[in-house]
Amino acid sequence: MIKKLKSHEAILVTLLIAEFLFFNATGRRFATIDNLFNIVRHSVEIGLLALVMTPIILTGGIDLSIGSTLGLCAILFGKLWRDAGLPPWAAAIGAILVGGACGLLNGALITQLRLPPLIVTLGTFSLFRGLAEAITRGVDAFTNFPESFLFLGSGQILGVPTQAWILLAVAILIWLIVHRTVLGRSFRAIGFSSEGARYAGLPVERRILFCYVLAGLVAGIASLTYTARLGTAKADAGYGYELLAITAVVLGGTSIFGGIGSVHGAMLGVAALAVLNNGLTRVPAVMNIASELSGVLTGALLLSALALGTLPKHLAAWRARRHISLH
Amino acid sequence: MKRHFRELSVLAALLLMLLVLALFTPNFYEPQPLLSRLTAAAPKLILACGAALIIISRQIDISIGSLFAVCGTCAGLLAAAKIPFAFAIAAAIGIGAIGGAINGALVAGLGLPSIVVTLATMVTLREALRLAQQGVFINLPEGAQWFGLAMKPGQSFICAVALAVLVVLAFATKHLAAGRFIYAVGSDAEAARLAGIRPRAITFAVFVLMGALAGLAAVLNMAQSPQVDPNSGRGLELEAIAAAVVGGVAVSGGRGKLWGVLIGLLLLVCIGPALTYAGVKPYWEKAIQGAIILLAVVADGLRSSARKGLFD
Amino acid sequence: MKRIASFISILVVALTFGCGKSPAPASVAGSNKKITVAFMPKSKGNGYFVSCKQGADQAAKDLGVELIYDGPTTPDPAKQNEIIENWITLGVDVIAVACENRDGISTALKKAQDKGIKVITYDADARPDARMFFVNQATPEGIGNTLMDEAGRLCNEEGEFAIITASLTAANMIAWQEKIELRRREKHPKMTMVALRPCDDLKDKAQAEATTLMSAYPNLKLIMAICSPAVPGAAEAVKQAGKFEKVKVIGLGLPSENKAYVMGGITQDVILWKTVDLGYLTIEAAAAVARGELQKGAKKFTSRKLGEITIEGDNLLLGKPFIFDKSNIDQYNF
Repeated sequence: MIKKLKSHEAILVTLLIAEFLFFNATGRRFATIDNLFNIVRHSVEIGLLALVMTPIILTGGIDLSIGSTLGLCAILFGKLWRDAGLPPWAAAIGAILVGGACGLLNGALITQLRLPPLIVTLGTFSLFRGLAEAITRGVDAFTNFPESFLFLGSGQILGVPTQAWILLAVAILIWLIVHRTVLGRSFRAIGFSSEGARYAGLPVERRILFCYVLAGLVAGIASLTYTARLGTAKADAGYGYELLAITAVVLGGTSIFGGIGSVHGAMLGVAALAVLNNGLTRVPAVMNIASELSGVLTGALLLSALALGTLPKHLAAWRARRHISLH
Repeated sequence: MKRHFRELSVLAALLLMLLVLALFTPNFYEPQPLLSRLTAAAPKLILACGAALIIISRQIDISIGSLFAVCGTCAGLLAAAKIPFAFAIAAAIGIGAIGGAINGALVAGLGLPSIVVTLATMVTLREALRLAQQGVFINLPEGAQWFGLAMKPGQSFICAVALAVLVVLAFATKHLAAGRFIYAVGSDAEAARLAGIRPRAITFAVFVLMGALAGLAAVLNMAQSPQVDPNSGRGLELEAIAAAVVGGVAVSGGRGKLWGVLIGLLLLVCIGPALTYAGVKPYWEKAIQGAIILLAVVADGLRSSARKGLFD
Repeated sequence: MKRIASFISILVVALTFGCGKSPAPASVAGSNKKITVAFMPKSKGNGYFVSCKQGADQAAKDLGVELIYDGPTTPDPAKQNEIIENWITLGVDVIAVACENRDGISTALKKAQDKGIKVITYDADARPDARMFFVNQATPEGIGNTLMDEAGRLCNEEGEFAIITASLTAANMIAWQEKIELRRREKHPKMTMVALRPCDDLKDKAQAEATTLMSAYPNLKLIMAICSPAVPGAAEAVKQAGKFEKVKVIGLGLPSENKAYVMGGITQDVILWKTVDLGYLTIEAAAAVARGELQKGAKKFTSRKLGEITIEGDNLLLGKPFIFDKSNIDQYNF
C-alpha cells in the first residue's frame, strides 16, 4: 500500500516535470511569471474543491454536487449584497454558511438515512443548480461589485495573486487535518471499512458529516473567488467543476474506493491538469484545437494514471500465479 | 405485493400525475403529440434499461451520453455518404459495443473504479467528437427518416423496438442464468465468485451490452428526424441513471426491476411537459427533477432503515 | 524518495520560470511583423461559429495575419476569461471575441487593454469601455424587431406565439427577448407570448419542447426559435404533428440546416446574417485596429470584400438581419 502511494506520486511528479519541460520547449512564452500567475489564478476554484473532495473520497464517499453548491453560493452572495443591501463581507459570510448548509443536507441524508453518496449528491447536483436557476429566474446576474471585493480575484498581495494565498491557507489547513490529526487518520480507517471503524469506537457518522459540511463551506469560499475573478455572479457558476475536482484527486493517487490517498497528491493532480490546460494553448501546432485536445488528453491521462497505479498489483498477482504454476 | 412495493409506489405517483393532467390539461392526451413524445422517449428507455443493468451489477456508467452522440454521428455520416442504411445501423451498434468493451475491459480487466473510468471515457469521447465534427449538423438522405416508413408507422415501430428491448432484457434477467448472474454479482461479487460465477466476465458483458444499447438508442433517435445533431446526448446519462433510480434500482447493487425503470422514465419524462401545461416557469424544472430523485432515494432509505429496525 | 522528488520538481519549476519574463507586445503600426489576431467564438461546438470561422480564415489568408482560434467547448463564461488571460500572456496583438457573459468578460478584456492589446468584439458585445469596436451583425433591436415583425406579419397581427431559446442564462438571448417584448408591446399588441422554453442548445430537446407547446396551447399560431439548433427542431415537431398549416415556424438559424423545411413550407423564414461575412469583417477590423489604421471616432471602414461599412458610434454594422425564405435560401450553403 505504501509502495502504491509512493509510486503514484512519483509518476505524477515526473509527469509535472515532463509537462514543464515540454511546454517550455514548444510553447510560446510559457515560462513567464505572468503565465504562472494565470495558471494559479485559474486553478484556485478547482484546487479548493479538490482539497475538500479528498477527505470525502478517503472515507469512501463522493460529492457530485459541489459545483452546484458553488453556483448557489455565488448567486446568494450576489443577492445578499445587492438585494438585501449587506456589505460584501457580511454577504460573503452568508454565502459560505449557505455552502455549509448544502453540505449539511448531503451529509445528513448520507449518514442518517444510510443512502449511497453517489446518488444523493446526484440529486443535490440537480437540486442546488435548480434552486440557483429558480432564484435568479435564470436571467439575473449580479455585477458591479465594489473594488474592495474584486481585489479578491484580480489583486495581488506581496506580488502574488490574492486568491493564491486563500488557496494556500485552505490547503495547509486541510493537509494538517487529513495528515496530522486523529480526525484525519480516521477518514482512511472509515474508507477501508466503515464497519470496522465503527466497531473500533469511531463516531463514523459524525466524521463523514464533517467532511461534507467542510466541503460545502469551502465551496462557498470558492464561489467568492470565482465571483471576484469574473466580476459577476450567475446561476451557471462552477458548472462541471466537480468532475474536474474528482479527476484531479484521482490523478493524485487517491483511490475512489477509499482508504488511500493524500492531499498533496490532489494538489499535484490539480497542478498537472492546470499546466496541461494552459500549456496546450501556447503550442502553435495545436493552439487552435487546444480546448478539445485538453479534454481528450485529460481523459487519457486519467486512465493511464489509473492503469499504471494498478500495475504493481497486477505484476505481483502475475508473478504469484507463475510461481504457483511453476512449482 | 410487498416485494414490489417500491415499484408500485412509483407507479402510483405516475398514475396520480397522469390523472391530474387528465383533469386539468386534457390536451396532454392528444394522440399525435403524445405519440411523438413517447417516440422521443423511446431511445431514453433503452438507455435507462442499460443503465439499470449496470447499476444492478454495482457499477456506474456516465459515458452513456457521449457514446450515444458518437454512435449517432457515425451512423449519420455513413448514411449521408449513401452507404446502405442497414450497414449504418450495424456500425452504430458495433461502435457502441466497442466503446462499452473499452469501459468493460478497464473496469473488469484492470479492476479500475467504474465512476472514474467512465468519467474519463465520457470526456475523451465528447471532446474527440467535437474535434472531428465541430458541432455541424449532418443532413440525412431521403428515406432515412422513420426507416423509410411513413411517420405514424415509423413512430410506432420505434416505440415497439424500445419496448421489445425492455421485454427481452426483463425476460433475460429473470429467466436466463446469465441474467440472474448480474444480480448475483451486484449483490455480492465475492459470494458469486465462490458460487462459480465469474464476476469479471459478467461485468465486462454488462458494459458491452450497455454500449450496444447506446448505439441502438442512437439509431432510433437518428431515425426521428432528417438531421443528426452531434451535440445530442448531453445530459442523457443523468436522465438514464435518474430513471433507473426513481424506478427502484438500488445504487448499492443487486436490486431493481426493469419495468420499474419504465415507470421511472415515464414519470421523469412527463415532468417537463406537465410543467409547461401547468404554466409553471421553466426555471423550476431542474430543481423539481433534483427533488424527485432525492425523494425517491430518501423513500428507499427510510424503508430499508425501518426494515433494519434502526428506528426502534 | 518522495521529498527528493518534490524538491527537484520545485527546483525545475523555479528555474524554468525564473528564466522568463513577459515583454509587452511590440507596437505593430508600420512594422513588418506578422500580426496575431486571437479569435474566440462563444463556444466551439456550434455550426454558427464554424461558419464565422470560414470567413475569418479567408480574411486571415487575404490579409496575411496569423489567426489563433480557441474557445470553450460549451458556453462557459469563466473559461472565456481564462483563455483571454492566457492570450494576454501570450502577447497577441488583437483579440476579437463573441462574449458569453457581458460583464464577466469585460474584466478580462480590460486587463488586455491595459497591457496594450487591442480588443474588439463581434456577435455579442462586452461593456463599451472594455473594447474599441463592436462588429455588429445586427443590433438586438434589429434582430428583435425583425423577428417580431415577421411573426406579426405571418399571424395577421394577432394570436399566440411561443419562444424557444437556448438556455435561460444566455446573455444575448435575454437581450433579444427583451427587444422582442418591447416591439410586441409597441407594434403588435394583439400578439401574446404564451411561453418561453429553453432547449439547452439541443435540437432534439427543442423538438420535444415544440411538440409540448403545440398541444399545451392549442391556439398557438407561431413558434419563434431563437437559437439555431431549435429552428429545425421546432420545424420537425410541427411537421410531425401535421400542423404546418396552423403553426408557423420562424427563427434565427443557419440556411443549410433549414433548407428542407423552408422549401417544404414548414419554416416560413430563417433570419440570420451572412455569418461568413461577419467572420471576415471581424478579422479585417481586428487587423486594421492592430495596425492603427482604424482609430476611435472613425465613421467608415472600407472592407475589401464588403465595400464600405458604416460605423455607428463604435459599432461596425454588417447590415440588417437577412431573411432567408423560399425565394433565396438555395443560394447559400452555410
